[in-house]
Amino acid sequence: MVEVAVTAPAVLDVHDLRVSYAGAVQALRGVSLSVPEGSVVAVLGNNGAGKSTLLRALSGTLPAQNGAVTGGTIAFAGREQPRDAAAIARGGLVQVPEGRRVFSNLTVEENLRAGGLAAPDKAARAEARAWVDELFPILRERATQRAGLLSGGEQQMLAIGRALMASPKVLLLDEPSLGLAPKIVERVGEVIREINDRGVTVVLVEQNAAMALSVADHAVVLEVGEVALQGTADELAESEAVKERYLGVPRATSTAERVESHAQPLEVEALSVRFGGLAALSDVSFTVEPGSLHALIGPNGAGKSTCLNVLSGVYEATAGSVRYGGRELTKLRPHRIAALGVARTFQNIALSPRVSVLDNLLVARHRLMRSGFLADGLRLPAARRERAEHEARVREIAELLGLTELERPVGTLSYGTRKRVELARALCAEPELLLLDEPVAGMVRDESAAMAEAITRSRAELGISVLLVEHDMTFVMGMADRVTVLDFGKRIADGTPAEVQRDAEVLRAYLGGAA
Amino acid sequence: MNQFVTLLVGGLFLGAIYSLVALGFVTVFKATHVINFAQGSVLLLGAYVIARLHESLGFWPAVAVGLLAAAACSVLIDVVLIRRIRRADLGTLAILTLGVDILLATELSRRIGTDVLNIGAPWGNHVTELFGIRVATSRVVAGCVAAVLVAGFWAAFKFTDWGIAMRSAAEDGETASLMGIRLNRVAAAAWALAGALAAVGGLFLTSFPAAGVTGGVGVLALACIPAVVLGGFDSPGGAVIGGLIIGVVSVLTAGYQEELSFLGRGLGGVAPFAVMLLVLLIRPSGLFGTRELTRV
Amino acid sequence: MSRRLAIYAVVIVALAAVPIWFESFWLQTGLFAMAAIIAAIGLTILVGIAGQLSLAHAFFVAVGAYGYAYLADKIPPLLAVVAAVLLAGLAGALFSPIAGRVRGIYLGLASLGLVFLGQHILQNATGITGGYRGIAVPPFSVLGFEFTGADGMVVLGVPYGPLEKLWYLGLVLVAVSLWYGRNLVRSRPGRALATVRDSEVAAATNGIDVVRYKAAAFTVSSMYAGLGGVLMALAFGRIVPESFGFLLSVDFLVMVVIGGAGSVGGAAAGAVFVTALPLILNHYSGSLPLLAEPGSGGVGAAELSRLLYGAAIVAVLLFARDGLAGLVHRKERVV
Repeated sequence: MVEVAVTAPAVLDVHDLRVSYAGAVQALRGVSLSVPEGSVVAVLGNNGAGKSTLLRALSGTLPAQNGAVTGGTIAFAGREQPRDAAAIARGGLVQVPEGRRVFSNLTVEENLRAGGLAAPDKAARAEARAWVDELFPILRERATQRAGLLSGGEQQMLAIGRALMASPKVLLLDEPSLGLAPKIVERVGEVIREINDRGVTVVLVEQNAAMALSVADHAVVLEVGEVALQGTADELAESEAVKERYLGVPRATSTAERVESHAQPLEVEALSVRFGGLAALSDVSFTVEPGSLHALIGPNGAGKSTCLNVLSGVYEATAGSVRYGGRELTKLRPHRIAALGVARTFQNIALSPRVSVLDNLLVARHRLMRSGFLADGLRLPAARRERAEHEARVREIAELLGLTELERPVGTLSYGTRKRVELARALCAEPELLLLDEPVAGMVRDESAAMAEAITRSRAELGISVLLVEHDMTFVMGMADRVTVLDFGKRIADGTPAEVQRDAEVLRAYLGGAA
Repeated sequence: MNQFVTLLVGGLFLGAIYSLVALGFVTVFKATHVINFAQGSVLLLGAYVIARLHESLGFWPAVAVGLLAAAACSVLIDVVLIRRIRRADLGTLAILTLGVDILLATELSRRIGTDVLNIGAPWGNHVTELFGIRVATSRVVAGCVAAVLVAGFWAAFKFTDWGIAMRSAAEDGETASLMGIRLNRVAAAAWALAGALAAVGGLFLTSFPAAGVTGGVGVLALACIPAVVLGGFDSPGGAVIGGLIIGVVSVLTAGYQEELSFLGRGLGGVAPFAVMLLVLLIRPSGLFGTRELTRV
Repeated sequence: MSRRLAIYAVVIVALAAVPIWFESFWLQTGLFAMAAIIAAIGLTILVGIAGQLSLAHAFFVAVGAYGYAYLADKIPPLLAVVAAVLLAGLAGALFSPIAGRVRGIYLGLASLGLVFLGQHILQNATGITGGYRGIAVPPFSVLGFEFTGADGMVVLGVPYGPLEKLWYLGLVLVAVSLWYGRNLVRSRPGRALATVRDSEVAAATNGIDVVRYKAAAFTVSSMYAGLGGVLMALAFGRIVPESFGFLLSVDFLVMVVIGGAGSVGGAAAGAVFVTALPLILNHYSGSLPLLAEPGSGGVGAAELSRLLYGAAIVAVLLFARDGLAGLVHRKERVV
C-alpha cells in the first residue's frame, strides 16, 4: 500500500479502515489515508464508491445509518478518535454535511451560534465570528433572515461559516459544489483556499473532480470501497485514468440496437417542476422511442430523479406534459400510471424487508391479478389457480435475473441482490415501459456488469422500452441508444452516446469549468 | 352575554393549564420524536408528591420536591428506556411510553386508593373577582404562572445557547451532532422540562375547583392530546394556542349544556376530541404543524 | 403431514371437551379470551400488516357488541351477528376518509378521538344503548337451537347452559378468524397492505390504490372487531359503555405488540395473555400469598396484573421486538 507523499506530520491518520452497514454490506474495504497538517486532501469517486461512508466514519455519524467500523483505526491529532459525533466535533474535527443542511427554521445568526457551541471558549467564538464576517459579508447582511430563505450558494456559505464557528483544526467538506452553478463552485473553491491559508486542514469529498483537483494538494480516488488511485492533485489532473472514469469510453461491442416492441412512445414536453421557490426541472423535453434504451444522465442534483418521479406520478409537474400512447400522465395518480404498463425501480430500494422475495415480486403482479379480500382470503379455487399461474411466471422472471432462494426475507439479502430483486419486481409487472432509477448505484464492478447484462437481456427478451436514470456515465455509454443530459434541471444535450460524449457542455458539466 | 364572558374567561384559565402540559408534550416530541403517553402519570406523580408532602414540608417546598420528582422521573424514562431504542419508529416508542404509563399510574393509584388527597395550596377554595367575573383564585394563579412560564420558555428557546441547541437538534439531529451538540443531553433536558411542566399542570388541575388528587387524575393529561394535535405536533406555539382552544371549548360546551342538550350530557369532555377530528379532516397536520413530505 | 393432522385432532378434541371438565369461571375467561383473539387479529391486520396505527379499536368492538344487542331482539340472532359485523365494517369504512388523509401518529391520535366520541354516544343514545346502565344481550340461537340453559341439555352428566354452548360457538368463530387472517396475510390484498405499510410510494407505483387499500384495511379490521364485540357481548350477558373505553383500545394494541405486530398467531397469544391474566390472578387471589385484599394498601390482584402487563410491554419492546411470534420462529436478522 502506497501512502500519500507526506510532507508534514499527519493530523488525521486512517489505517486499513473497514466499514459495513447493517452487518452485511461492506462499504469500505481497507482504506488508508494520511492527511498532513495544513494540507487540502481531496477524496474523489463515483456514487457509492464509499466517499460519504469515509466521512461518516471520520465524523462519528455511522450509527445513524446502521453502519459500524469493523476494522482499522482512525487517529486524530495523534490520538484515537472518540466514537461520539458531538465529542469529535468538540475535539476540532468538524464536518460540513452534504446538501448543506443548514437549520432552515433558525436565522442565519442562530445557525452561526449553533456552530459556535462546539468552540473551546468565548474568545475562540469571537475570533471565529470576526473571521466568518470577513469571509462571508453576505451572512452579516442576512443575519436575521431564516436560513431556509437563502439561495443554495448562500446556504453553502452559511454551512461552511457555521462549521468555522467551532474553530476546527480539520474541516471535512462533503460535496460542497453539489447542485451549485459553476460561478458559485468557483467561489467555494476560493473559500476553501482562504480557509486553508489560515492553517485549517481540509478534507474535501467531491464528485466534481476538476474543482477538487484545482484546490487540493493531494487526492485519492475511491472505487467500491477501496483506494483506486492516489497522488498529488497535479498528477491526478493529468491522468488519463481519471478522465476515463468520469467520461467513460464507448465499448467496442455496443449492444445499442432497437428491439421489437409493442410499447408506445413516451413524449416529455417542456416539463417543469418547482419545489417552493426552487426550480428542480425547467422546460425539459425528450422522447423515448418504443423498444429503445434511453438514458437520462447528469451530475448529482441535476433533476434526473425528479424527472422520473414526475413520470411515475409521484411528484406533480408544475408545467408541461408527459404523454404515453396518447394518455396524459401528469394528471394521473401513480397507480393509474402503473396500470398503463409503466413500472419503475427506486434508487434507495423500496422493497418490504421482512417479506419474502417471492411475495415482494408478487406485489408487482397486483395489477394483473384480480382476486380480492373475499376470494383470496377464503382461498376459493379461482384465487388459488390465479396465484399458481402468477407464481410460475414470477419464478421464470426471477430465474432470468439469476435470483434463487425466493423464500428468504428480502432484508437478509446483500445489497447487490436486493438491487436485482428491485429490478425483477419491476419486470414482474410485465411493463411496456420500464423506468430505472440508478440501478447500479453503490455496486461493485462485477455486480454492475451483471446488472447491465440483466437489463439488456430483459429488454431483448421482454420487448420493452427502458428509461434509465444514471449518474455513472461509463455504465450508460455501452448500452444506451440515446442519451439525454440534464444539468441544473435543464436539458444540455440529447443524442447518441458518441455525440453526447463529445459535447462541450457535457464535458463542462462533468469535469467542471477547467476541462 | 355575561355568562358567555364568564365561561370564556374560565375556559382561557383552564386552557392555560392545558397549554403547559401540551408544551411539555411538544418539547419531548421535538427533541426526541416520542409521543409521550407517560405524561399523564408523571403529572399524577407530581401532584401526588405535593399532596403527600405539603403538611410536613410546607406547601412551597413540597411544590419544589414535586417538580423535581416529576422531572427526575421523566428523565429516567428517557435515559433508561427510550435511549435504548432511540431509532425505533414512532408507534413503538409511543407504545413503550404507554407501558410505562400503566406501570406508574397503577402504582400511584394503588397508593392513593380511594382517597382524595388535598393539594394544600394556600389559595384553597378562594374566589377572585376580575372585572365583575368570579373565578377560582387557583385558576387565576394558574393563568399567571402559565403566562410567565410560556414567556420564559419562549425566551429561553429563542435567546439562550440551550434554546439554540434544542432547536438545532429538533430540526436536524445528525447535523446538530456534527456541530458538537450533545443530543443525549438535549433530550434529557427536554424530558426534564416536560416532567416539570406536567407537575405544574398537575398542581393546578387538582386545585379548587377540582376536588383533589385521585388515582384518575393522570387521565386528565389525555385532554391535552387534542390540544397538541390541534396545534400541530411540532409547534410549541401551536401547543399553547391548542391548549387555550381546548380549555375554552370544553368550558363553553359544559356551560351551555342545557342549550346543547340535544348533543347529550357530559359534552365538555368529548367536545375537544370532536373539534380535533374536525380540524384533522381539514388540516391533516394540525393548525401549525409541519406537513409531512413524501420522500422517495 | 399425518402427524400434523393427529396433533390437530387431539387439540380439537381437547378444546371440545373443556366444558365437561372445567367450571364456569374458566369457560367465561375462555370466552373473553376468544372474543379478544378475534378482535386482536383484526388489529394486527391493521397495525402490523397495513401499518396504520389505531387506538380506535374499542370503538369498533363496541359497534359490534351494541349492534348485536340491539338487533338480536328484532331479527334472528344469526342475522343480527352478520348485521353487527357489517355495521362495524361500515363504521371503519366511514372513518377511512380521515385515515386516508392523516398519517402515522396523527392517525393514532385522531383514532383516539373516536373512542371518546363513541363513549359519549353510548352514554347518551339511551334509546339504543341504555346509557350508563347498559343493555341486556339477547341469547344467541341458530336454526331454533337456543344458546341458553332452558332446554335442560346434559352432556356426560354435565348440564349445558349458555356458557357451555357459547364455548363451541367461540371455538368455531376463532377458528374461522384465524384461518381467514392467515390466508389474508399471504393473499394479493395482504401483500398490497404490507407494501403500503413499508412504502406508500412503492405501493402506488406497483399499481396499488393506496387510499382504497387503507380504507379496506380499516373495514376488514373493524369487521373483526365487530365479531369480537358480538362474542364479548354474549359472554357478558349485559354490556355497559365503560367496558369499551380507552383502556380497552390500549389493551388491544398491547395484545398486538406483545404478540408481535403482523403475526396472526402472535395476536391470538397476546390476546389470551392480556385478557386471562387479570381474571386468573383475581380468581386465585385468595390462595396466592403475595396478594393483598383490595383497598388494604398492598398489591392486589388487579394491580399485580396491571403491573405485569405494563412490564410485559416494556420488556417486549426493549428485548424482543418481534414479540411472542418472534420468539417462536427465530428468524434471520432482517435489516
